[in-house]
Amino acid sequence: MHEFSTMQGVVGVIMEFAEKNNAKKVLRVYLDVGELTFLNHEQLKFSYQILSEGTILEGSELVISPIKARYVCKHCGSSGDLPRIEEGDHFSVPVFYCPECGKEIEITSGRECRVREIEIET
Amino acid sequence: MFFHVISVGKDILAVNRELAEKNRRLFEKYGVRAFDFMGSIGSGKTSLIEEMIKRLREKGVRVAAITGDVSGDDDAKRLASLGINVENLNTGKECHLDAHLIEHAIEKLNLDSIDVLFIENVGNLVCPADFPLGTEKRLVVISVTEGDDMVRKHPVIFGTSDIAVLNKVDLAEVMGVDIARIEEDYKRINPNGVFIKTSAKTGEGIDELIRALGL
Repeated sequence: MHEFSTMQGVVGVIMEFAEKNNAKKVLRVYLDVGELTFLNHEQLKFSYQILSEGTILEGSELVISPIKARYVCKHCGSSGDLPRIEEGDHFSVPVFYCPECGKEIEITSGRECRVREIEIET
Repeated sequence: MFFHVISVGKDILAVNRELAEKNRRLFEKYGVRAFDFMGSIGSGKTSLIEEMIKRLREKGVRVAAITGDVSGDDDAKRLASLGINVENLNTGKECHLDAHLIEHAIEKLNLDSIDVLFIENVGNLVCPADFPLGTEKRLVVISVTEGDDMVRKHPVIFGTSDIAVLNKVDLAEVMGVDIARIEEDYKRINPNGVFIKTSAKTGEGIDELIRALGL
C-alpha cells in the first residue's frame, strides 16, 4: 500500500518536466511498472486521478505498461526472463536463481516505476 | 497550440535505491555492519534482536538499533532497556521504512561508536521488498504461528532477501505446522538463501543466526 506516496513522486517528476517544457496541459503519461513491484495498477490510476485534480494534469490519461522481470546470472553470465513456478490457476511465483547454473542472480528489470514519456500541449 | 512528446526516463523507486547505496557507502566508511529485519507482524523480530544483542554484547560488540513502526515506541523501549542506542521511526501512514528515513536516523547515531546496526522494519511481508535500505544483508522473519504458507503467499520478499528466519519453532508441534514444508517452499524460490529455525524464547538457533550474519 504505497501507491499514493509513489504516485506523489511520479506527479512531482511529471510536473518538473512539464514546467521545464512550458506545458499548458499534460495530455498523456506513460509509466513503466515492473512486475516485481508491489504497486497495484488500478490504485496507481486512482491516486493519479486524485493528485491531478486542479492541476495541468487534470483529465490526462495515464498509460501503465507492465515490465517483465529479467535477470543476469552473477556466475555464468546467462540472462533472460525470470523463471516462474506455475501450478494450477492460482500459483505462479517467480524464482530467484539462475535457471542455467542454479546460482545467484541479479535482477536487471522488473523493479521499476519509471515515467517513460509525457505528451504535452504548449 | 503545439503538441510535444517529452522523453522523461525517471524511475521513482530508483531514487530510493540510490539513497540506499549512499547509506551503504556510509556504513562501509564507518565499518558499521547493518542488517534489515523485515518480517510479519508479531513474528518475533524484536525478541530475536534482543537475544542477539545480549549475546553480542558479551563478545564486546557495540550494537545500536533503528526501530520502525507505524506508531508507538514499544520496540524502541524494549531494545533501549538493554542499554543500547535506539532511534525510533514512526512512519505514520507508510507500510515500510525507506532509505531516506534511514539516512536521517543514522545522522542521529554516532557511527564511530557502532559495530553492528540492527534495523527493524515495519511488520509487513509486502511493501518493504520494494525499498532496500542499504544494509549488508536483508532478512525476513516469519513464525510458525502464521501457518505454513507464508513463503508461497509472499515469494518476492523471500526471493530477494538473503536469510529467512522461521521463529517460534518451539510451538510447531502445538500449532500442527510442518516446518519442513516451509523450508521446502523457501528452497524452491531461493535455493541459495539461508534458512534458519529459531526460538527467541528457548534460544534455539540464535547462535546460528549470529553466525549467518557473519558476526
